[in-house]
Amino acid sequence: MSASEAKKITLKSCDDIEFKVDIRVASRSILLKNMIEDVGETDQSIPLPNVNERVLKKVLEWCEHHKDDPQPAIEDSDTRRRNTEIDDWNKKFLEVEQDMLFEIILAANYLDIKQLLDIGCKTVANMIKGKTPEQIRETFNIQNDFTPEEEEQIRKENEWAEDR
Amino acid sequence: MVSATNSPVLYHSPNNRPLHSPNSLNNNQPLIPYRSLVSAATLPSELIIYIFKFITSPADLKSCIFVCKSWCHCGVELLWHKPIFTGNGSLIKLLYTLSRPNQTFQYSLLIRRLNFSFLGENISDQILQRLSSCERLERLTLCGCKKLTDNALENLLKRARNLVALDVADIEGLTDNVAELVGEHCRRMQGLNMSLCKRITDKGVRAVASNCRNLRRIKLNSCIHVTDESIIVLAENCPYLLELDLTECNQITDKSIQLVLENCSQLRELRLGGCVKLTDEAFTETMPSCFDQLRILDLTNCNLLTDVSIQAITSSASKLRVLILAKCSLITDKGVYSIANIGKYLHYLHLGHCSRITDYSITHLTRHCTRLRYLDLARCTQLTDVSVFDMAHLPEIRRIGLVKCGNITDQAIYALIDSRVVDRRLERVHLSYCINISIGAVLELINACPRLIHLSLTGVPAFQRPDLQQFGRPPPKDYSQHQRQMFCVFSGKGVRELRHHLNGLDNTMGNRYSSRMGVNAIGADGRRNFDIDIEGTGYDISEGDNDGDIGEVDGYGEQN
Repeated sequence: MSASEAKKITLKSCDDIEFKVDIRVASRSILLKNMIEDVGETDQSIPLPNVNERVLKKVLEWCEHHKDDPQPAIEDSDTRRRNTEIDDWNKKFLEVEQDMLFEIILAANYLDIKQLLDIGCKTVANMIKGKTPEQIRETFNIQNDFTPEEEEQIRKENEWAEDR
Repeated sequence: MVSATNSPVLYHSPNNRPLHSPNSLNNNQPLIPYRSLVSAATLPSELIIYIFKFITSPADLKSCIFVCKSWCHCGVELLWHKPIFTGNGSLIKLLYTLSRPNQTFQYSLLIRRLNFSFLGENISDQILQRLSSCERLERLTLCGCKKLTDNALENLLKRARNLVALDVADIEGLTDNVAELVGEHCRRMQGLNMSLCKRITDKGVRAVASNCRNLRRIKLNSCIHVTDESIIVLAENCPYLLELDLTECNQITDKSIQLVLENCSQLRELRLGGCVKLTDEAFTETMPSCFDQLRILDLTNCNLLTDVSIQAITSSASKLRVLILAKCSLITDKGVYSIANIGKYLHYLHLGHCSRITDYSITHLTRHCTRLRYLDLARCTQLTDVSVFDMAHLPEIRRIGLVKCGNITDQAIYALIDSRVVDRRLERVHLSYCINISIGAVLELINACPRLIHLSLTGVPAFQRPDLQQFGRPPPKDYSQHQRQMFCVFSGKGVRELRHHLNGLDNTMGNRYSSRMGVNAIGADGRRNFDIDIEGTGYDISEGDNDGDIGEVDGYGEQN
């Protein structure tokens, strides 16, 4: 193991909790990776005003587990979308309360961790599949804010997209 | 330092933004509260869209748009971005929506991509005219919509300032007017396919070339009126050109190609098949010393070219992946020696009808170009089994074309079988008119190569038997009676059926075919005839035989 791999940085969540992590782990986040490269070595903690302790802990758990993964190849978005499989570890990792799932998605987006963002969004997409609008509303606790007239008009306007 | 305004970086284009801001959290707003209010309804619209992109079924996406207003914005945007029609009916319904007053969204502005190629002749000028309001259209694919005329596109092109890709291939009715409209209004054009639009002339191409400086790809296959005049304008104005297809533009001369090579230094793909006026000067005068971004070069039938061109090309385009020199009949072993310098970059090589080539250079080639996947040597009549012995060591080889290589014998086939490297990958073998090939060798070949999906044996005497030919493809309709009798091409299911049938025969006949000694016995029973005049048969089946093979590598799909 080379010296640089053992180096650590400190991250600070929005609720002022500090986490000391391996640079290799933190570098799963492209945002942090670029920042570390720009700033160089620093003893100061990096504040993450968009992520709270609970979520940061979870995200870092993911980064720790994936620290040795190869950086994802730049594949076209269609290939990524077609593959909706999620492996067992990630599936288990994302068996969390719904608000946590969305927090993870937001954090992965903010921190620019593409693979985590993708599996998070895939998980949500899988929760949508095969459901009626009403079932989707129940699943995610969403209020229907359409009037019947609005709904009917949208139905007519989008009739061309056939239900298959 | 990180700040709260460091807004999320998502990888969809900014064009995907909703037209109206949905009722969602502003994504710049920091998520301060810890027991946060994050939920599916309050996610930023970018993320909702990103999630929706993982929904593969249109029916599921359609369910999403009825969930709530903010989801509706996002879902509708995705649904209309690139409408997918299940048939004419759904297209008519879409046109009806566009014509409705008081639409919930301004749907016409959501449409970015349209592809009508599979509806072909069902697409009329009227339909296109009703889509003229799609001002934000970026990609329009109309190839094969043969009924269209200039009128279809006039209003649409006048408004489609964001159009970057237009495919109107094979619409013979179109004239220079369309090209001029593109030049005048669609200045951002990057990919234009006007192949087989045979009425297009220099006037149209000039209009595009002089106005669309960002042009990356232009295909003018079979636009036979196009001459040096407009291609010179193209070379001078479009330095970012990546792909240029001038196949069958037979008026093109060295003059314009020299300028293309000199100016378009990013060119990845150059197709000049059938530009029969080209001479060595096209490549020896202005070819930059380093042209290593070029991947695909097609010079089919440029039959004035000699080894000098090949040497110039291969020393500068040193990373060519696909090189097609079929019917460049002046090429000799010396040319093939220069091709070998490309080494492992070369995947596809077509030397069909280069009949001056001998085993000598093929041996050299196979030792250097070790990553070759496709090698076509049809009608290289001097080649013998020695060439195939060497090809048998190519670890990546998938397709071997030896049509009318009359010297090839069973020994060549056995070399392929015995090379454990080759047999696992081999997919296509063309052996038509290799008159010495026996049933036994072919049986072993198809038993040894599980991936074999194409095998052509037209004109091979051993296979002129109805019980074998019954598993072949039907001969092309325009073949004469004699040609039909000779035709013998197995593909897909046919290969499996032939394998099954031959193994059955072999079993009932006490392994007569599968023992190599037995094969020689068949050879001795007089069916081999070394004296058949293969050139004298008067027709060449290798062209039809090769259908689609070149297309497989070129992979010209949607332009990204």
